[in-house]
Amino acid sequence: MASNPMYQFNVYRIGPEIKLGSVDISFTNASLFMVISSLAILIIFNLGAKKKTLIPDKLQLLSELSYSFVAKMISDTAGSKAKPYFSFIFSLFMFVLFCNMFGMIPYAFTVTSHIIVTFVLAAFIFVGVTIIGFMKHGLGYLKLFVPSGVPMVLLPLIVVIEIISYLSRPISLSVRLFANMMAGHTMMKVFGGFVISLGIVGGWLPLSFSVALTGLEILVAFLQAYVFAILTCIYLNDALNLHH
Amino acid sequence: MEEEDFKTRLKSAKIKAKSKYSENKDTSTSGMGHAFKMSTELVAAVAVGTIIGFILDNWFGTKPWLILIFFFVGVIAGIMNVIKSARKMQKK
Repeated sequence: MASNPMYQFNVYRIGPEIKLGSVDISFTNASLFMVISSLAILIIFNLGAKKKTLIPDKLQLLSELSYSFVAKMISDTAGSKAKPYFSFIFSLFMFVLFCNMFGMIPYAFTVTSHIIVTFVLAAFIFVGVTIIGFMKHGLGYLKLFVPSGVPMVLLPLIVVIEIISYLSRPISLSVRLFANMMAGHTMMKVFGGFVISLGIVGGWLPLSFSVALTGLEILVAFLQAYVFAILTCIYLNDALNLHH
Repeated sequence: MEEEDFKTRLKSAKIKAKSKYSENKDTSTSGMGHAFKMSTELVAAVAVGTIIGFILDNWFGTKPWLILIFFFVGVIAGIMNVIKSARKMQKK
């Protein structure tokens, strides 16, 4: 049933079934679109970085603009100490952005509309940032959970609250991206269904809505990638600079 | 001569770039980003608190007390998250 608005999120196998022990690791449409977006990033940025002319052509301009955009984002939010992590944040931002944008193509699959994908990204960031924090500050990183100037009576409660708010980071990071992408794509599909069911007489209104929603979704696709990357920078900033 | 000229230009460009970084303009798109950020932060802390309470309840067999306590602790944590990021925004 293609008219089901949730049908677009179906994951199905492409090619033969591959099993690793009891785990199914077959190549699916989700994996296909991850491969496509990674390849697109690699090709665009390799071609863009190839020529190095003074007056850039379109691809070079694109890659230079995105470089300076991410570099500015990192230096604004996490300071100069975060420079070594530039390549990680850049690839993260580009991967999420390209996955979101490829999802906007009709009949394409939106990888980031599945919570497991976004949660794995967020969990990886969470674990990485925690490790970086402990490496930079040793056990002093635990001071993050003990804000200064709190009376001793309240301290146990505050520590529990701080730990919960620290643990909520990967959840809020992943749920935000996933929910935005899934809700937006479902809404577009629903309005698309209205166009068909209302026919040539009444279908014009939902059609115009669909057009507007497509624009909005492109904005959201970019914005969510941006928010994902900027929050990674903020968490990295907490781990590197440790002022509370 | 030409090299000298290039150096001075590079210097002024670097100074310009620095002042641009410190200005830190907030555009409307990042405002929308902040809104998304806050709404999920509030919900996520509640969810994490409830999950922790549920797990601890199962460990100690104290149903339903810990899940109740941790739910409210999660609510407090969520509100504090929002206050914290609002303060950060105000500082800018």
